[in-house]
Amino acid sequence: MVVAAIQFRLRNQLSEIRRLEENVDGFCSGLGLTKKCFCEINLVLEELFTNIVSYGYRDDAEHWVQFALAYEDETITLRIEDDGMPFNPVEALEPDVSCALEERRIGGLGIHLIKKIMDDIIYRRCGDKNILTLKKVLPAN
Amino acid sequence: MEIIEKEQDGVWIFKLNGRLDSKTSPEFEQKIADAMGKGSKNMIVNFEDLDYISSAGLRVILKATKDLKRSEGKFVLCSMKDYVKEVFEISGFDSFLPIVPTMADALQKI
Repeated sequence: MVVAAIQFRLRNQLSEIRRLEENVDGFCSGLGLTKKCFCEINLVLEELFTNIVSYGYRDDAEHWVQFALAYEDETITLRIEDDGMPFNPVEALEPDVSCALEERRIGGLGIHLIKKIMDDIIYRRCGDKNILTLKKVLPAN
Repeated sequence: MEIIEKEQDGVWIFKLNGRLDSKTSPEFEQKIADAMGKGSKNMIVNFEDLDYISSAGLRVILKATKDLKRSEGKFVLCSMKDYVKEVFEISGFDSFLPIVPTMADALQKI
């Protein structure tokens, strides 16, 4: 049985998306996961990270967004923790149905994308932190 | 990522080999802008050898769609690997962007 976990943190800047991709790439290829899986996990994390960076803070200070990726029992668990304003993406990112899809910007692809890819999404506010835990069951390789 | 471009009967065709992610998307965005600057309005993107697309890549595609729509041009995507096509479907892009199986289909569509 394969068990793996990584943790990393990124500054609250969109340019950090590059490092996000590298970390997810390393994690997925280390486990021999499919390109499809890598694509999907990366999209979910990019979407959530973009929203945190774009909407999570009112100040100009540097903040860290903590990521933890784990794989056990054929399930991938993603955990994102930030110290931004209280923000539950599950509630906050409902698609604007009055707005044509092509008008929505990336980071506005919406929670429906994340809900389609992930099997389980749990949001918790703990003290001054937003903690989002997402799970996806993968078929055994 | 390698971008191969050619013009055929007034249609600009891009073939993307490799990954369209935050590192490589700016180059593709620039190539589309250059082509539009030369007056191109109808474009096909061949995804046959594209391994991976991230939201940066989707953003470039979305921008190109809007820009071409404004110039009343046509934009068709073709030959996607299954999981890449799924990413476009999950993102809902297939509702406003024609995605077809082959280059022949794309040339017909345009």
